[in-house]
Amino acid sequence: MTRQYAFHVDISKCTGCKTCQVACKDKNNLPSGIRWRRVFQYEGGEWIEKDGQMIPSNVFAYFVSSACMHCEKPICEQVCPTKATYKREDGIVLIDQDRCIGCRYCSWACPYGAPQFNPEINAMSKCTFCYDLIEKGESPACVDSCPFRAVDFGPLEEIRAKFGTFSSPAPLPKPDITHPAIVYTPNGSTKSSGDVSGQLKNIEEV
Amino acid sequence: MSIRELALVVFTILTQMTVGSFLVLGVVHFYTVRKKGMEAADRLSDRALLALVPILALAMLVSLLHLGNPLKAPLAVSNVASSWLSREILFTVIFGCCAALFVLLQYRKIGSFQVRNKIAWIAGLAGLALVYCMSRVYMIPTQPAWNSMATPISFYTTTLLLGSLAMGVAFIVNYSIESRKDTGCATDQCDVLFGALRGIAVVSIVLLGVEFVVQPVYLGYLATTSAATQASASHIVQDFSSVFILRLLLVFLGAGVFGAFLYKNTASDGSEAQVKYLGYGAFSLVLVAEVLGRFLFYFSEFRIGV
Repeated sequence: MTRQYAFHVDISKCTGCKTCQVACKDKNNLPSGIRWRRVFQYEGGEWIEKDGQMIPSNVFAYFVSSACMHCEKPICEQVCPTKATYKREDGIVLIDQDRCIGCRYCSWACPYGAPQFNPEINAMSKCTFCYDLIEKGESPACVDSCPFRAVDFGPLEEIRAKFGTFSSPAPLPKPDITHPAIVYTPNGSTKSSGDVSGQLKNIEEV
Repeated sequence: MSIRELALVVFTILTQMTVGSFLVLGVVHFYTVRKKGMEAADRLSDRALLALVPILALAMLVSLLHLGNPLKAPLAVSNVASSWLSREILFTVIFGCCAALFVLLQYRKIGSFQVRNKIAWIAGLAGLALVYCMSRVYMIPTQPAWNSMATPISFYTTTLLLGSLAMGVAFIVNYSIESRKDTGCATDQCDVLFGALRGIAVVSIVLLGVEFVVQPVYLGYLATTSAATQASASHIVQDFSSVFILRLLLVFLGAGVFGAFLYKNTASDGSEAQVKYLGYGAFSLVLVAEVLGRFLFYFSEFRIGV
Protein backbone atom coordinates (compact mmCIF):
# COMPACT_ATOMS: atom_id res chain seq x y z
CA MET A 1 0.00 0.00 0.00
CA THR A 2 1.19 3.52 -0.71
CA ARG A 3 2.41 5.54 2.27
CA GLN A 4 1.17 8.85 0.96
CA TYR A 5 -1.39 9.54 -1.74
CA ALA A 6 -1.05 12.84 -3.59
CA PHE A 7 -2.83 14.85 -6.28
CA HIS A 8 -1.12 16.26 -9.33
CA VAL A 9 -2.63 19.27 -11.12
CA ASP A 10 -1.31 20.49 -14.45
CA ILE A 11 -1.86 24.25 -14.42
CA SER A 12 -0.81 24.47 -18.07
CA LYS A 13 -3.78 22.29 -19.03
CA CYS A 14 -6.39 23.80 -16.67
CA THR A 15 -8.91 26.18 -18.24
CA GLY A 16 -10.73 26.99 -15.02
CA CYS A 17 -13.92 25.19 -16.09
CA LYS A 18 -14.46 23.93 -12.52
CA THR A 19 -15.77 20.55 -13.62
CA CYS A 20 -13.58 19.01 -10.87
CA GLN A 21 -15.29 21.22 -8.28
CA VAL A 22 -18.75 20.31 -9.51
CA ALA A 23 -17.95 16.59 -9.78
CA CYS A 24 -16.65 16.67 -6.20
CA LYS A 25 -19.82 18.36 -4.94
CA ASP A 26 -21.95 15.89 -6.85
CA LYS A 27 -20.12 12.73 -5.78
CA ASN A 28 -19.93 13.80 -2.13
CA ASN A 29 -23.40 15.35 -2.09
CA LEU A 30 -22.14 18.61 -0.59
CA PRO A 31 -24.61 21.27 0.52
CA SER A 32 -24.59 24.79 -0.86
CA GLY A 33 -21.57 26.80 0.24
CA ILE A 34 -19.28 23.83 0.84
CA ARG A 35 -16.58 23.22 -1.72
CA TRP A 36 -14.03 20.56 -0.93
CA ARG A 37 -12.32 21.34 -4.22
CA ARG A 38 -11.96 24.95 -5.26
CA VAL A 39 -10.48 26.58 -8.36
CA PHE A 40 -8.58 29.83 -7.74
CA GLN A 41 -8.21 32.35 -10.53
CA TYR A 42 -4.95 34.27 -10.20
CA GLU A 43 -4.32 37.27 -12.44
CA GLY A 44 -1.89 40.13 -12.74
CA GLY A 45 0.00 42.44 -15.04
CA GLU A 46 -1.02 45.63 -16.78
CA TRP A 47 -1.76 47.29 -20.10
CA ILE A 48 0.50 50.02 -21.45
CA GLU A 49 -0.33 52.82 -23.86
CA LYS A 50 1.55 52.82 -27.15
CA ASP A 51 0.71 54.93 -30.21
CA GLY A 52 -2.66 55.78 -28.73
CA GLN A 53 -3.54 52.13 -28.19
CA MET A 54 -3.64 50.02 -25.03
CA ILE A 55 -1.39 47.00 -25.38
CA PRO A 56 -1.14 44.20 -22.89
CA SER A 57 2.30 44.27 -21.39
CA ASN A 58 2.83 41.49 -18.87
CA VAL A 59 -0.76 40.38 -18.35
CA PHE A 60 -1.18 36.85 -17.08
CA ALA A 61 -3.88 34.61 -15.65
CA TYR A 62 -4.04 31.01 -14.56
CA PHE A 63 -6.15 28.67 -12.49
CA VAL A 64 -5.16 26.63 -9.45
CA SER A 65 -7.43 23.71 -8.64
CA SER A 66 -6.95 22.84 -4.99
CA ALA A 67 -8.51 20.59 -2.37
CA CYS A 68 -7.23 19.13 0.88
CA MET A 69 -3.52 18.54 0.38
CA HIS A 70 -3.49 15.49 2.69
CA CYS A 71 -0.36 17.07 4.12
CA GLU A 72 2.58 15.10 5.40
CA LYS A 73 2.41 17.33 8.51
CA PRO A 74 -1.33 18.04 8.78
CA ILE A 75 -1.78 21.03 11.10
CA CYS A 76 -5.51 20.20 11.29
CA GLU A 77 -4.70 16.84 12.90
CA GLN A 78 -2.25 18.47 15.27
CA VAL A 79 -4.72 21.06 16.61
CA CYS A 80 -7.90 18.93 16.66
CA PRO A 81 -8.91 18.61 20.33
CA THR A 82 -10.93 15.42 19.90
CA LYS A 83 -8.66 13.39 17.58
CA ALA A 84 -11.54 13.45 15.10
CA THR A 85 -9.03 14.43 12.41
CA TYR A 86 -6.58 11.66 11.65
CA LYS A 87 -4.16 10.55 8.99
CA ARG A 88 -4.54 7.07 7.55
CA GLU A 89 -1.64 4.77 6.78
CA ASP A 90 -2.02 5.67 3.11
CA GLY A 91 -1.60 9.37 3.97
CA ILE A 92 -5.24 10.34 3.46
CA VAL A 93 -6.41 12.81 6.12
CA LEU A 94 -9.99 12.18 7.25
CA ILE A 95 -12.43 13.58 9.82
CA ASP A 96 -14.34 11.13 11.99
CA GLN A 97 -17.61 13.03 12.05
CA ASP A 98 -18.86 11.04 15.04
CA ARG A 99 -16.00 12.47 17.10
CA CYS A 100 -16.03 15.99 15.65
CA ILE A 101 -17.58 18.55 18.04
CA GLY A 102 -17.64 21.30 15.41
CA CYS A 103 -15.30 23.70 17.21
CA ARG A 104 -13.85 24.73 13.82
CA TYR A 105 -10.35 25.03 15.21
CA CYS A 106 -8.99 23.11 12.18
CA SER A 107 -10.45 25.74 9.86
CA TRP A 108 -8.51 28.45 11.75
CA ALA A 109 -5.33 26.45 11.28
CA CYS A 110 -5.44 24.94 7.77
CA PRO A 111 -3.78 27.32 5.29
CA TYR A 112 -5.64 25.66 2.38
CA GLY A 113 -9.15 26.23 3.75
CA ALA A 114 -9.78 22.51 3.40
CA PRO A 115 -11.86 21.74 6.52
CA GLN A 116 -15.27 23.35 6.17
CA PHE A 117 -18.17 23.32 8.61
CA ASN A 118 -21.18 21.39 7.37
CA PRO A 119 -24.28 22.82 9.10
CA GLU A 120 -26.34 19.79 8.03
CA ILE A 121 -24.36 17.52 10.34
CA ASN A 122 -22.96 20.18 12.72
CA ALA A 123 -19.46 18.87 12.09
CA MET A 124 -16.45 19.67 9.96
CA SER A 125 -16.11 18.10 6.54
CA LYS A 126 -13.32 17.90 4.01
CA CYS A 127 -11.98 16.14 0.92
CA THR A 128 -11.71 12.40 1.55
CA PHE A 129 -9.56 11.75 -1.52
CA CYS A 130 -12.60 9.64 -2.55
CA TYR A 131 -10.98 6.85 -0.55
CA ASP A 132 -14.08 4.74 -1.15
CA LEU A 133 -13.45 4.86 -4.91
CA ILE A 134 -9.70 4.34 -4.53
CA GLU A 135 -10.30 1.24 -2.43
CA LYS A 136 -12.36 -0.12 -5.33
CA GLY A 137 -9.48 0.59 -7.69
CA GLU A 138 -11.16 3.65 -9.19
CA SER A 139 -10.04 7.30 -9.28
CA PRO A 140 -11.26 10.29 -7.25
CA ALA A 141 -14.22 12.10 -8.85
CA CYS A 142 -12.19 15.24 -9.62
CA VAL A 143 -9.54 13.22 -11.46
CA ASP A 144 -11.98 11.34 -13.66
CA SER A 145 -14.15 14.35 -14.42
CA CYS A 146 -11.48 16.73 -15.72
CA PRO A 147 -12.13 17.14 -19.46
CA PHE A 148 -8.54 18.29 -20.00
CA ARG A 149 -6.98 15.48 -17.95
CA ALA A 150 -5.29 18.14 -15.83
CA VAL A 151 -5.91 16.38 -12.49
CA ASP A 152 -4.13 13.18 -11.61
CA PHE A 153 -3.35 11.23 -8.45
CA GLY A 154 -1.04 8.51 -7.20
CA PRO A 155 1.61 7.76 -4.60
CA LEU A 156 3.50 10.97 -3.79
CA GLU A 157 6.88 9.49 -4.72
CA GLU A 158 5.64 8.41 -8.14
CA ILE A 159 3.91 11.74 -8.74
CA ARG A 160 7.10 13.60 -7.82
CA ALA A 161 9.21 11.33 -10.03
CA LYS A 162 6.90 12.04 -12.97
CA PHE A 163 6.05 15.71 -12.44
CA GLY A 164 8.64 17.29 -10.16
CA THR A 165 8.17 18.86 -6.73
CA PHE A 166 6.57 22.28 -7.33
CA SER A 167 3.86 22.57 -4.69
CA SER A 168 3.22 26.25 -4.15
CA PRO A 169 1.73 28.29 -6.99
CA ALA A 170 0.33 31.67 -5.87
CA PRO A 171 -2.18 32.24 -4.32
CA LEU A 172 -1.49 29.06 -2.33
CA PRO A 173 0.68 29.47 0.78
CA LYS A 174 4.28 28.35 1.13
CA PRO A 175 4.53 24.61 1.80
CA ASP A 176 6.88 24.75 4.79
CA ILE A 177 4.21 24.73 7.51
CA THR A 178 2.28 21.60 6.54
CA HIS A 179 4.28 19.84 3.78
CA PRO A 180 1.35 19.35 1.39
CA ALA A 181 1.19 16.12 -0.64
CA ILE A 182 0.68 17.89 -3.96
CA VAL A 183 2.54 18.55 -7.18
CA TYR A 184 1.61 21.30 -9.63
CA THR A 185 2.92 21.59 -13.16
CA PRO A 186 3.18 25.34 -13.78
CA ASN A 187 2.23 27.09 -17.01
CA GLY A 188 4.46 29.81 -18.46
CA SER A 189 3.22 32.54 -16.16
CA THR A 190 2.68 30.65 -12.90
CA LYS A 191 4.01 32.60 -9.92
CA SER A 192 5.19 31.14 -6.64
CA SER A 193 3.68 31.59 -3.17
CA GLY A 194 4.24 35.01 -1.73
CA ASP A 195 3.95 36.67 -5.15
CA VAL A 196 2.47 40.16 -4.98
CA SER A 197 2.34 40.95 -8.70
CA GLY A 198 -1.05 39.29 -9.08
CA GLN A 199 -4.32 38.93 -7.20
CA LEU A 200 -6.92 36.28 -6.48
CA LYS A 201 -9.69 37.40 -8.83
CA ASN A 202 -12.60 35.09 -8.11
CA ILE A 203 -12.78 35.50 -4.38
CA GLU A 204 -16.59 35.43 -4.43
CA GLU A 205 -16.50 32.01 -6.10
CA VAL A 206 -14.16 30.30 -3.68
CA MET B 1 -19.96 38.72 14.45
CA SER B 2 -21.95 35.59 15.11
CA ILE B 3 -23.12 34.05 18.36
CA ARG B 4 -20.19 31.64 18.10
CA GLU B 5 -17.55 34.35 18.23
CA LEU B 6 -19.51 36.15 20.92
CA ALA B 7 -19.33 32.90 22.92
CA LEU B 8 -15.54 32.93 22.62
CA VAL B 9 -15.33 36.55 23.78
CA VAL B 10 -17.50 35.82 26.82
CA PHE B 11 -15.69 32.56 27.62
CA THR B 12 -12.16 33.97 27.43
CA ILE B 13 -12.97 37.20 29.29
CA LEU B 14 -14.91 35.52 32.10
CA THR B 15 -12.39 32.70 32.51
CA GLN B 16 -9.48 35.11 32.66
CA MET B 17 -11.37 37.33 35.10
CA THR B 18 -12.05 34.33 37.35
CA VAL B 19 -8.42 33.20 37.31
CA GLY B 20 -7.24 36.74 38.01
CA SER B 21 -9.78 37.16 40.82
CA PHE B 22 -8.65 33.93 42.43
CA LEU B 23 -4.99 34.98 42.33
CA VAL B 24 -5.69 38.51 43.57
CA LEU B 25 -7.84 37.14 46.35
CA GLY B 26 -4.98 34.89 47.43
CA VAL B 27 -2.48 37.75 47.53
CA VAL B 28 -4.87 40.11 49.34
CA HIS B 29 -5.73 37.40 51.86
CA PHE B 30 -2.04 36.69 52.47
CA TYR B 31 -1.23 40.33 53.25
CA THR B 32 -4.36 40.89 55.30
CA VAL B 33 -3.55 37.88 57.47
CA ARG B 34 -0.11 39.33 58.16
CA LYS B 35 -1.44 42.75 59.02
CA LYS B 36 -4.80 42.16 60.68
CA GLY B 37 -5.01 38.44 61.42
CA MET B 38 -6.86 35.48 59.96
CA GLU B 39 -10.35 36.48 61.03
CA ALA B 40 -10.26 39.90 59.44
CA ALA B 41 -8.77 38.41 56.27
CA ASP B 42 -11.47 35.72 56.01
CA ARG B 43 -14.17 38.32 56.60
CA LEU B 44 -12.82 40.36 53.70
CA SER B 45 -12.43 37.57 51.19
CA ASP B 46 -14.77 34.66 51.94
CA ARG B 47 -17.84 36.22 50.41
CA ALA B 48 -15.90 37.37 47.37
CA LEU B 49 -14.81 33.77 46.80
CA LEU B 50 -18.43 32.68 46.42
CA ALA B 51 -18.86 34.75 43.27
CA LEU B 52 -16.08 32.94 41.41
CA VAL B 53 -17.61 29.51 40.90
CA PRO B 54 -20.87 30.63 39.25
CA ILE B 55 -18.94 33.00 36.95
CA LEU B 56 -16.60 30.21 35.82
CA ALA B 57 -19.52 27.82 35.38
CA LEU B 58 -21.29 30.43 33.26
CA ALA B 59 -18.13 30.87 31.16
CA MET B 60 -17.90 27.14 30.52
CA LEU B 61 -21.57 26.88 29.61
CA VAL B 62 -21.28 29.81 27.19
CA SER B 63 -18.23 28.20 25.58
CA LEU B 64 -20.47 25.31 24.49
CA LEU B 65 -22.38 27.73 22.24
CA HIS B 66 -19.25 27.87 20.14
CA LEU B 67 -19.53 24.19 19.24
CA GLY B 68 -21.46 22.56 16.45
CA ASN B 69 -22.19 19.62 18.71
CA PRO B 70 -22.10 20.65 22.42
CA LEU B 71 -23.17 17.20 23.66
CA LYS B 72 -19.86 15.74 22.59
CA ALA B 73 -17.87 18.49 24.37
CA PRO B 74 -16.19 16.02 26.80
CA LEU B 75 -14.29 14.55 23.82
CA ALA B 76 -12.39 17.86 23.63
CA VAL B 77 -9.77 16.66 26.11
CA SER B 78 -8.78 13.68 23.92
CA ASN B 79 -5.74 15.25 22.30
CA VAL B 80 -3.77 16.68 25.22
CA ALA B 81 -0.61 15.28 23.62
CA SER B 82 -0.66 17.76 20.73
CA SER B 83 -3.63 20.17 20.85
CA TRP B 84 -3.45 23.35 22.93
CA LEU B 85 -7.22 23.47 22.77
CA SER B 86 -7.40 20.13 24.61
CA ARG B 87 -4.90 21.44 27.16
CA GLU B 88 -6.94 24.62 27.61
CA ILE B 89 -10.10 22.65 28.34
CA LEU B 90 -8.22 20.28 30.65
CA PHE B 91 -6.79 23.15 32.72
CA THR B 92 -10.16 24.90 32.77
CA VAL B 93 -11.61 21.77 34.36
CA ILE B 94 -8.69 21.36 36.80
CA PHE B 95 -8.82 25.02 37.80
CA GLY B 96 -12.61 24.93 38.11
CA CYS B 97 -12.64 21.78 40.28
CA CYS B 98 -9.80 22.90 42.58
CA ALA B 99 -11.23 26.41 42.93
CA ALA B 100 -14.71 25.06 43.67
CA LEU B 101 -13.33 22.60 46.22
CA PHE B 102 -11.31 25.35 47.86
CA VAL B 103 -14.30 27.69 48.00
CA LEU B 104 -16.41 24.97 49.64
CA LEU B 105 -13.74 24.09 52.24
CA GLN B 106 -12.82 27.69 52.94
CA TYR B 107 -16.37 28.96 53.26
CA ARG B 108 -17.41 26.11 55.57
CA LYS B 109 -13.98 26.07 57.28
CA ILE B 110 -13.56 22.35 56.62
CA GLY B 111 -10.07 20.90 56.95
CA SER B 112 -6.93 22.54 58.26
CA PHE B 113 -5.56 25.82 56.95
CA GLN B 114 -2.55 23.96 55.50
CA VAL B 115 -4.74 21.61 53.43
CA ARG B 116 -6.89 24.45 52.13
CA ASN B 117 -3.79 26.44 51.37
CA LYS B 118 -2.37 23.61 49.27
CA ILE B 119 -5.59 23.28 47.27
CA ALA B 120 -5.59 27.04 46.70
CA TRP B 121 -2.02 26.85 45.40
CA ILE B 122 -2.91 24.05 43.00
CA ALA B 123 -5.93 26.03 41.77
CA GLY B 124 -3.84 29.18 41.35
CA LEU B 125 -1.12 27.40 39.38
CA ALA B 126 -3.72 25.61 37.24
CA GLY B 127 -5.26 29.02 36.56
CA LEU B 128 -1.94 30.43 35.40
CA ALA B 129 -1.41 27.35 33.20
CA LEU B 130 -4.94 27.77 31.84
CA VAL B 131 -4.26 31.34 30.68
CA TYR B 132 -0.99 30.17 29.11
CA CYS B 133 -2.75 27.35 27.22
CA MET B 134 -5.47 29.77 26.19
CA SER B 135 -2.88 32.02 24.56
CA ARG B 136 -1.17 29.09 22.87
CA VAL B 137 -4.49 28.06 21.30
CA TYR B 138 -4.27 31.21 19.20
CA MET B 139 -0.53 31.08 18.57
CA ILE B 140 -0.68 28.95 15.43
CA PRO B 141 1.78 29.50 12.58
CA THR B 142 -1.01 30.11 10.06
CA GLN B 143 -2.42 33.02 12.13
CA PRO B 144 0.46 35.50 12.19
CA ALA B 145 -1.49 38.28 13.92
CA TRP B 146 -2.13 35.96 16.87
CA ASN B 147 1.18 34.13 16.74
CA SER B 148 3.20 36.61 18.80
CA MET B 149 4.16 37.23 22.40
CA ALA B 150 1.48 39.93 22.47
CA THR B 151 -1.16 37.22 22.86
CA PRO B 152 0.04 35.77 26.19
CA ILE B 153 1.09 39.21 27.48
CA SER B 154 -2.31 40.72 26.78
CA PHE B 155 -4.17 37.65 28.10
CA TYR B 156 -2.24 37.77 31.39
CA THR B 157 -2.73 41.55 31.59
CA THR B 158 -6.47 41.13 31.13
CA THR B 159 -6.45 38.34 33.72
CA LEU B 160 -4.82 40.45 36.42
CA LEU B 161 -6.49 43.74 35.51
CA LEU B 162 -10.04 42.38 35.45
CA GLY B 163 -9.29 40.07 38.38
CA SER B 164 -8.06 42.97 40.52
CA LEU B 165 -10.88 45.34 39.73
CA ALA B 166 -13.55 42.62 39.98
CA MET B 167 -12.26 41.75 43.45
CA GLY B 168 -12.28 45.45 44.29
CA VAL B 169 -16.01 45.46 43.54
CA ALA B 170 -16.49 42.22 45.50
CA PHE B 171 -14.71 43.69 48.55
CA ILE B 172 -16.84 46.83 48.38
CA VAL B 173 -20.07 44.82 48.19
CA ASN B 174 -18.83 42.57 51.00
CA TYR B 175 -18.04 45.60 53.14
CA SER B 176 -21.52 47.04 52.62
CA ILE B 177 -23.03 43.76 53.83
CA GLU B 178 -20.61 43.36 56.75
CA SER B 179 -20.99 46.93 58.02
CA ARG B 180 -24.77 46.69 57.85
CA LYS B 181 -24.74 43.48 59.86
CA ASP B 182 -22.29 44.66 62.50
CA THR B 183 -21.58 48.35 62.81
CA GLY B 184 -19.00 47.71 65.53
CA CYS B 185 -16.53 46.21 63.13
CA ALA B 186 -16.82 49.03 60.63
CA THR B 187 -13.57 50.85 61.37
CA ASP B 188 -11.39 47.78 61.29
CA GLN B 189 -12.99 46.32 58.15
CA CYS B 190 -12.88 49.75 56.54
CA ASP B 191 -9.12 49.81 57.09
CA VAL B 192 -8.77 46.39 55.52
CA LEU B 193 -10.97 47.38 52.58
CA PHE B 194 -9.09 50.61 51.95
CA GLY B 195 -5.77 48.79 52.16
CA ALA B 196 -6.89 46.19 49.62
CA LEU B 197 -8.33 48.80 47.26
CA ARG B 198 -5.14 50.84 47.45
CA GLY B 199 -3.15 47.81 46.34
CA ILE B 200 -5.65 47.10 43.57
CA ALA B 201 -5.41 50.71 42.36
CA VAL B 202 -1.62 50.47 42.14
CA VAL B 203 -1.79 47.15 40.27
CA SER B 204 -4.29 48.50 37.73
CA ILE B 205 -2.20 51.61 37.04
CA VAL B 206 0.88 49.42 36.48
CA LEU B 207 -1.06 47.06 34.18
CA LEU B 208 -2.42 50.05 32.27
CA GLY B 209 1.20 51.00 31.68
CA VAL B 210 1.88 47.49 30.36
CA GLU B 211 -1.09 47.72 27.95
CA PHE B 212 0.04 51.12 26.72
CA VAL B 213 3.50 49.76 25.97
CA VAL B 214 2.32 46.47 24.43
CA GLN B 215 -0.35 47.98 22.14
CA PRO B 216 1.92 50.28 20.07
CA VAL B 217 4.71 47.67 19.95
CA TYR B 218 2.18 45.08 18.76
CA LEU B 219 0.74 47.39 16.10
CA GLY B 220 4.28 48.12 14.95
CA TYR B 221 4.92 44.38 14.71
CA LEU B 222 1.74 43.88 12.67
CA ALA B 223 2.53 46.78 10.36
CA THR B 224 6.01 45.55 9.53
CA THR B 225 6.04 41.75 9.61
CA SER B 226 4.16 40.34 6.61
CA ALA B 227 1.30 40.95 4.21
CA ALA B 228 -0.95 38.89 6.48
CA THR B 229 -0.13 40.88 9.62
CA GLN B 230 -0.52 44.12 7.67
CA ALA B 231 -4.04 43.03 6.73
CA SER B 232 -4.76 42.53 10.44
CA ALA B 233 -3.21 45.90 11.33
CA SER B 234 -5.28 47.77 8.75
CA HIS B 235 -8.36 45.93 10.03
CA ILE B 236 -7.70 47.27 13.53
CA VAL B 237 -6.60 50.82 12.79
CA GLN B 238 -8.84 51.49 9.76
CA ASP B 239 -11.99 49.35 9.78
CA PHE B 240 -12.32 49.30 13.57
CA SER B 241 -10.45 52.48 14.47
CA SER B 242 -13.32 53.84 16.57
CA VAL B 243 -13.54 50.61 18.59
CA PHE B 244 -9.77 50.63 19.03
CA ILE B 245 -9.69 54.25 20.24
CA LEU B 246 -12.72 53.74 22.49
CA ARG B 247 -11.05 50.69 24.03
CA LEU B 248 -7.88 52.64 24.80
CA LEU B 249 -9.85 55.59 26.18
CA LEU B 250 -12.00 53.41 28.44
CA VAL B 251 -9.09 51.43 29.86
CA PHE B 252 -7.19 54.67 30.46
CA LEU B 253 -10.19 56.20 32.17
CA GLY B 254 -11.00 53.09 34.22
CA ALA B 255 -7.58 51.81 35.25
CA GLY B 256 -5.70 55.12 35.04
CA VAL B 257 -7.97 58.00 36.08
CA PHE B 258 -10.39 56.08 38.32
CA GLY B 259 -7.44 54.02 39.59
CA ALA B 260 -5.53 57.17 40.57
CA PHE B 261 -8.52 58.65 42.39
CA LEU B 262 -9.15 55.30 44.07
CA TYR B 263 -5.57 55.34 45.32
CA LYS B 264 -5.81 58.94 46.47
CA ASN B 265 -9.12 58.46 48.29
CA THR B 266 -8.09 55.23 50.00
CA ALA B 267 -4.70 56.63 51.02
CA SER B 268 -6.16 59.74 52.62
CA ASP B 269 -9.32 58.49 54.34
CA GLY B 270 -11.65 59.63 51.60
CA SER B 271 -15.38 59.12 51.98
CA GLU B 272 -16.65 55.54 51.76
CA ALA B 273 -19.28 56.51 49.22
CA GLN B 274 -16.71 58.02 46.87
CA VAL B 275 -14.46 55.00 47.16
CA LYS B 276 -17.41 52.72 46.36
CA TYR B 277 -18.32 54.54 43.19
CA LEU B 278 -14.69 54.75 42.10
CA GLY B 279 -14.35 50.99 42.54
CA TYR B 280 -17.55 50.22 40.62
CA GLY B 281 -16.67 52.75 37.92
CA ALA B 282 -13.13 51.49 37.40
CA PHE B 283 -14.32 47.89 37.03
CA SER B 284 -17.17 48.73 34.64
CA LEU B 285 -15.01 50.87 32.38
CA VAL B 286 -12.19 48.34 32.24
CA LEU B 287 -14.61 45.45 31.67
CA VAL B 288 -16.11 47.21 28.63
CA ALA B 289 -12.60 48.11 27.41
CA GLU B 290 -11.35 44.53 27.70
CA VAL B 291 -14.45 43.13 25.97
CA LEU B 292 -13.92 45.57 23.09
CA GLY B 293 -10.25 44.59 23.02
CA ARG B 294 -11.19 40.93 22.77
CA PHE B 295 -13.60 41.67 19.91
CA LEU B 296 -10.72 43.40 18.12
CA PHE B 297 -8.54 40.37 18.79
CA TYR B 298 -11.01 38.08 17.01
CA PHE B 299 -11.66 40.62 14.24
CA SER B 300 -7.92 40.87 13.59
CA GLU B 301 -7.87 37.18 12.62
CA PHE B 302 -6.23 36.77 9.23
CA ARG B 303 -5.24 33.27 8.28
CA ILE B 304 -2.49 32.91 5.72
CA GLY B 305 -3.26 30.90 2.61
CA VAL B 306 -6.55 30.53 0.81
